[in-house]
Amino acid sequence: MVNLPKKETHNSHHTLPPENVESAVIVRDLIDTTNGTSNSFKIIAIGLGIMSVLGIIALILKWINYGDDSTRWGYVAALVSFLLSITGGAPMVAMGPVMAKANWVRPLTRLAAIFSFAGISTIIVLIPLLFLLPPLVVDGTRRRSIWFEAPNYSPHIWGIIGMVLLLITGIALFYSAALPDFAAMRENSTGWRKKLGKKLSRGWVGTDSQWRTLRMRIGMFGTFYFFVMVMVNFLYTTDFAQGVVPGWRDAIFTLYHTVSSWQGGVAALVIALWIVRRKMNLEKYIHLDAFWSLGRLLFALTLLWIYLFYSSFIVFWYGRSENDKATLDLLVKGPMIWAFFAGAAFIWLVPWWILIWNRVRKSINGMAIGASVIIFGLLLDRIRLFVAAWSVPQEHIHQKWLKQIPDTIYPDVYDIVIAIGSISMSILIVMLMTKIIPVLSIWQIQEFNLLSKPIKYIKGHATLIAKPD
Amino acid sequence: MSISMIGLFQEATPAADAMDGLKNAGFELGSFDVLTGTPYPEGAFGEHVPQHRLFRFPAFGAIIGFTLSLFLTAATQIAYPLVTGGKPILSIFAMLIIMYELTMLAGVISTVIGIIFESRLPNLKMGAYDRRITEGWIGVVINLDDESRADDAEKVLNYAGAVEIKKA
Repeated sequence: MVNLPKKETHNSHHTLPPENVESAVIVRDLIDTTNGTSNSFKIIAIGLGIMSVLGIIALILKWINYGDDSTRWGYVAALVSFLLSITGGAPMVAMGPVMAKANWVRPLTRLAAIFSFAGISTIIVLIPLLFLLPPLVVDGTRRRSIWFEAPNYSPHIWGIIGMVLLLITGIALFYSAALPDFAAMRENSTGWRKKLGKKLSRGWVGTDSQWRTLRMRIGMFGTFYFFVMVMVNFLYTTDFAQGVVPGWRDAIFTLYHTVSSWQGGVAALVIALWIVRRKMNLEKYIHLDAFWSLGRLLFALTLLWIYLFYSSFIVFWYGRSENDKATLDLLVKGPMIWAFFAGAAFIWLVPWWILIWNRVRKSINGMAIGASVIIFGLLLDRIRLFVAAWSVPQEHIHQKWLKQIPDTIYPDVYDIVIAIGSISMSILIVMLMTKIIPVLSIWQIQEFNLLSKPIKYIKGHATLIAKPD
Repeated sequence: MSISMIGLFQEATPAADAMDGLKNAGFELGSFDVLTGTPYPEGAFGEHVPQHRLFRFPAFGAIIGFTLSLFLTAATQIAYPLVTGGKPILSIFAMLIIMYELTMLAGVISTVIGIIFESRLPNLKMGAYDRRITEGWIGVVINLDDESRADDAEKVLNYAGAVEIKKA
C-alpha cells in the first residue's frame, strides 16, 4: 500500500494515489510516443550521432598513434567499465523487482531493458583493449592471473564472449517482455512500425498459455541476465584491472564493481525516467511512487558502496605487506588520490546526504539530482581504478608487487573525444529505441491498472494492490 | 471446414460467463480460450489451464549433462590410469567440479530450448482476433472443426453479453 503525493489532501504528508487510466487511452498515448519526432529530438539525435562518429574516429586515431603503449589506454579501460556499469546495471531493474512482484516497477521495466542495446557501444570501446591486453605467457613466463593452465589468449576470448553474451541476454530479456507490445503495434501503429510489430509479435494474441509462458521467459532470461552480468563483471575486473597490476589481489573487488554497477544502472534509469516523463508528457504513467521506490534502492546501494570499499580497503590497510602497500599506493594514496577523494565524495558522501532525506526521495527533481551526482562519482571511481591499473607498464607484469608507482596520467584529447563519443552513442541508442517501441510497457501499465485501485483509507488515501500469484 | 469465432466483451465478468457457458454447452476443453491484452490472474475466467511441461526440459537436460560428465571424467581417467601418490584413479572431488558445470550447462541450454518450444511461437494461424483486445477488451475465442455447432457457440456468446461476434 503506498501513498503518492500529487495533490495535497490535507496538511499531513498523505497524498492522492495515481488514478487509473483507460486501457484504450494507454495504448493510444504510448503508441503515439513512437510516432513522429520533434525538432529538438532530431537535433539532439544528430548531435549525438556526430559525437559518436567522432568518438570512433578518435578511437582509431588513438590506436594508430598509441597502439603500442598500453599505459595510455587507462581512460578507455575506465570508460568500458563505466559503460558496462550503466548499460549492464540498468536492466537489472527490469528483472530484480519484477521477480519480487513489485507493482511500482511495472511502468519502468521497458526503459530499463532498453539500456541493454547500449551495450553495443561498450563492445566497440573494448575492442582495442583486447589487442593491448598482454597474453598469459609473456617473455616465456606465465603471468599471474586467474587462468592457471588456460590457452594463452583466454582472457581476451572470454572477455569478448562475456560482453557479447551480456548484450544477447539483455536483448532476449527485452524481447521476451516486449512481445505483447509488438502485438499492440501490429494492431494500432501505422507504416513500418505496424510491419515491424507484425513480424516481431510472432502471432501473439494473448491466450492464457501465452501469458504464462511470457512470465516464465521473463523469469528465466532475468535469471540468466543476472548470472551473465556477474560473470562479465568478474572477467573484466580480474583480467582488465587486477590482472595487469602485479600484486593486486582482492577478492572483494568484483563484488564492489558489480554492486556499484547496479548503483550506476539505477541512477541512470532515474535520470532517463526523469527525461522521459518530462519530454514525452508521461506524467500520468510515471508516478512519484516509481522515483520514491528507486530512491530507496539507490540509497541502499550508495551505502553498500562504502561498505564494500571499506571491506576491501581494510584488508590492505591491516595487511601491510609489500604488495598491500603498493596496491594502496597505486589505487588510493598515490597518483589517483584526487580521483579517489572526488569519486568517494560523488558516489557516496554527497548522494548519501542527498538521498538520506525522505523529502528528497519523495521528489522527482531531487532524485534526478542525486542520481546525476552518482553517475559523475561512478565515472571518477572507474577512472581511479582503471587508469591507475593501466598506467603500470607491461614490462613490470612479472614483478611480485609493484616496485615503482607510476605518475598520474591525465586524459589526452583522444580520451576526451572517445569518452564523449561513446557516452553519446549509448544515449543515442536508447533514444532511437524509444522511437521503435513504446518507452513504457503498454501491457505492464495495463496490468498495473488491473491490479491496483486508488481507495479512500479512513481519512487518507491509498492504493489497493492485488497480488494474485 | 474449420472456423474460428470470437466474442468480444468490454467487461471481464460476462467473458467469464461465456467461458462457463461454452463449458456447459459441451464444447471440448481446449477448443475455446480467452484472449486479453494484459495478463489476468490465472483462472480468473475459469479457463482451462493446460499443464505446461517446461520443468521437464531442465530436468532432462541436467540428467543428460550429469551422465555425460560422469562418463567423460571417469572414462578419461580410466583410459589413462595415472596413479599419483597411491591415490585412487578416480579423483572424485576434481570430477565433481566438471560434473557440476556440465550438469548446469546442459540444464541451462535445455531450458532455453524448452522456453522456445513451450512458447508455441510463432503462432502461424492466429484465428479470429480483434484490435480492441489490445485496448482492454476481452475476446472469447472458440475453434470449431466444422460449422455444425457454430450456431450453438454464437448463442452462448450472445447470451453472455458479447458486444460483437466475428468469424475467421
